[in-house]
Formats: sequence, C-alpha cells, structure tokens
Amino acid sequence: MVPENILTVEKAEPCVWGVSSGKGGVGKTFISTSIALTLSKLGHNVVLVDFDLTGANSHTALGVDPSHMSLRHYFESQKSLNEIVLNTPYPHLQYVQGFWDSWSPVQLSNADIDRFWNELKKINADYIVIDLGTGSYQHHLDLFKRCDEKFLITNPEPTSIEKTYRFIESFICSTLKDNSTADAFGKLMYVLRDHRQRILPQPFSFKKYLLNNDGFVFDHFEQLSKNPIRMIVNSVRSPQQAELGHSMRSVCYKYYDLSLEYCCAIDFDNAVWQALRNREPVLIAQPFTPLSGQFLSLCKHMIDPGELRAVV
Amino acid sequence: MPQLPTHNYYEVLELPTNAAQHEVTTAYDRAKRTYSGENPAIYTVFTDVEARELLGLIEEAYSILGNKTLRSIYDQRLLSNSYTLEDLSYGSILGASKQYYPEPKQQQQKPSYQKDASLEKEILERKEWDGAFIKRVREYKGHSVERLSDKTKINPFYIQAIEKMEMKSLPAPVFVRGYIVQIAKELSLNERKVADSYMSLFKKTP
Repeated sequence: MVPENILTVEKAEPCVWGVSSGKGGVGKTFISTSIALTLSKLGHNVVLVDFDLTGANSHTALGVDPSHMSLRHYFESQKSLNEIVLNTPYPHLQYVQGFWDSWSPVQLSNADIDRFWNELKKINADYIVIDLGTGSYQHHLDLFKRCDEKFLITNPEPTSIEKTYRFIESFICSTLKDNSTADAFGKLMYVLRDHRQRILPQPFSFKKYLLNNDGFVFDHFEQLSKNPIRMIVNSVRSPQQAELGHSMRSVCYKYYDLSLEYCCAIDFDNAVWQALRNREPVLIAQPFTPLSGQFLSLCKHMIDPGELRAVV
Repeated sequence: MPQLPTHNYYEVLELPTNAAQHEVTTAYDRAKRTYSGENPAIYTVFTDVEARELLGLIEEAYSILGNKTLRSIYDQRLLSNSYTLEDLSYGSILGASKQYYPEPKQQQQKPSYQKDASLEKEILERKEWDGAFIKRVREYKGHSVERLSDKTKINPFYIQAIEKMEMKSLPAPVFVRGYIVQIAKELSLNERKVADSYMSLFKKTP
C-alpha cells in the first residue's frame, strides 16, 4: 500500500520565463514560442502564456486556430486559469490564449496581476513561458519583474537597441518605485536626469546610490545582479551583429554599473517568415537547422549551465 | 565626462581579477570594437567624446593587463589593499617595471694559489700529460673536482676517471678529448699540447 503522503506530495512550482522587448517586431513571439517548443521537445511540460496586451498572436506562431477561450475569460472571472489552458498539437506543450478580442480595452488592476501570478504558479507544469508585450506598460513590467528568468529580446537595428536601453531604465525604475519611499524615488529621478545631462560631480552607479541613500529596499536590486536580465539578439546576419550583445552589456555596465547577461544570438533565417506564412512553427517545419540548434543550446544552458560547458 | 566607479583596470575591461591572459585579450578586442567606430550600441548613451575617452582608458588598461610583467606588478599593488590611486596609475606601474632588473650574475673568480716556480717550469716543459699530472696541476691551481665540474659541465665521475685514466668508466675517446680540452682551458694550460699528449697515453693504457 502506498503511503498517502507520497500521493499528496506537493509538486514544485513551475519555473516562469518571461520574454519581453523594448521595441515591437523584434521577434518576441517567435522566440517565446520557439523556447516553449524546445523545452517541450526536451520532455518538460510547458505552458505558453500569451500576455501581450497590445494584441495576442502566439497562436499564429504556434499554428493553431485562435480559441474563444482567452485571458479575458479569466480576468472577467468567468473561468479559472487552469480551465483556459488549451492543448496544442505538440506533445508536452499547452498554451493560454491572450487577449484576442479587442473590442473593449483591457483594464487590469494590481490586484488582478497578483491573483493572476498566484494562480500561474499553481499551474501543473515544469516551465511557463510568458510572451509579454512590447515596451514599458506597467503590467508588463510588473509581471516581468516577478519572472524567474527574464529574457529581453532585441535585434541589431539602432532603433531597437535604443529602445532596449529605455526599457531597461524604465524596468529598473519601476522595480525601485515599489521598493522605495516617494521622497527617495523623486530624488533618484533628479539624479538620473543630471546623469543624463552629465552634470553629476561623481560617476553614477545604481548600486552605490541605493546603498548610500535611505529609503530604498536593496534586496530586489541585489537579486537582479545575481540573476540578471538575459539579453537575446535576434535576426543576426553577421558575426559583427552578434557581438552587439557584448557591447550592450558593456554599455550598461559602464553607464549604470548594472550587470546584464548576454545570453545568445539567434541567426536571421528566411525559413522563419516562410514557415509563419504556412502557419507552422519553424522548429516543427525544419527541426534540424542551425536555428533550432541555437534554441536547443539556449534552453540546455538555462536548465543546466554545466551540461554544455566546453572541456578545456 | 565618463568616470568609472573606480579606477580599476579590471573593471574597465569588465574582467574578474583572476582572468586568464587570453580572456584579457578577448575582452580588450570586444571593448575596443564597442567604443570605437560607429557601433550602434553606444549611440544615445555615450557621446563621441566620451567614447573616445573610454577608448583611451581601455587602451591604457590593456597595456597594463595585456603585459605579464606590468600585470603582476599591478596585481601585487591591488591585492596589498594599502595602495593609493597614485600607485595604481599607468605611469607609476610603468616606472616600477623599469626599476626591476634581474640580479647580475656574480663572476666567480678563479681561486688564487701560491706560485711555485719549479712546478710552473715543469708545467711549461712537460711533454707527457697523464692523469696523475693533470690532477697535480688541478690541485696546485686550487680547483676542487666539484668546482671544475661546475665550470666545465663535465660529470665529476668522469673527471676522476680521467685523472685515474680508467678507460672503462669513460665514453668514446672523441668525447674524452673534448673533456681534456675543457679541463685544460679551465686550468689555463695549452689545451692542444695537453690533449694530444693525454690521448696518446690514453690509447696506450691497457
């Protein structure tokens, strides 16, 4: 007879990976669906959540028809989150349809986000990949902050690089806002403005500033240094463009004393848009290309960094 | 102007202090590519002037960390905890590296010995140079076997065998001749005369 406590043993919480970007159209949806597919191919149970408030289209990237069951049902309290998790044709992969019907604007409160996050953590899965929308919407930033792994997508275009810096700034500030007194936060805004205009007497460092000034809770920022935002440079067409990730990491370090991690570069591949036109994920249509290899090594590296380490 | 949090070359190149030498070079290449030319990653964050200043700092950091000698001096000062910013500056490290010289090798002088007119004369006139006489000259000129071996790089065992004229213990005659020439040079003798005479005697020994 099996002891009862084995059956009721609590399952570990799913690991939540958030995917966001500063600029639209850099391949958030493509990368989040590809990561979810790769994780599911590795045998993990994955739920892909489409949380793009500006218009969901993960279903198109996955090649499934949009369902009428969407996050709207959840936020309007008609369904529980578990009920709107939909099956896909791919083993181990399920998905949650985003706001697809945009007749009325999405109005969410902080309590909604809290409730959503708590239920998300109770979903029965190993990994949850959230496709967050573009830019610094408060709700996107809120969720991004809570994710266990944070991926920031950019591509080598100057516009997208610029917006990536703006996103990082607003993300840091929004996390600090919740963890500081209003006075201290207002003062920080002035200091940052002075830093931008280069009139500070001392070089600026977030770390030092937060340590030396009252009114900040330092824990979250500390956490961010230990588990940094991971940057992915998408649609790379040359090795020089792949080097951009290192440059951006260096710029963040030198300008803000903030550590980012450059995760990997994803090559530009015409197969991506061709597969999208056929409404089929490229990793399913062409599973043995260098592109899927890049996603495979990305996921393997994230799950166990030791596994792919070169033997020197 | 972009000042860095501290003036630490490892932070300039964004390296841990225990980075391997090839990692220093890679980091320098990357940093140089980032802050020179039209890199889109620095646009809107650093101005041209600032990028140029950063580039200067990067070059300076690499000229210290990319050089093994300068890096070890820098590391020693950095780890000693009692450094001043002045001590860690480029000029100071470069100055310190020039002060360092390897210790000059001490010239070992030949041992002095009491001149003995009759023996000197005998050495000049001697025709038959056997092992016993070489030993006698060696002892007269104050060389121990160890010292002679140290100077000529000949195994002391061979030197003793040469003096005892033990053919069994010695290598082929051509090498023995080489040894004799070395020994004779060290004892300031006429090496040709000594070697010719010794070798003819050597071949006659049973």
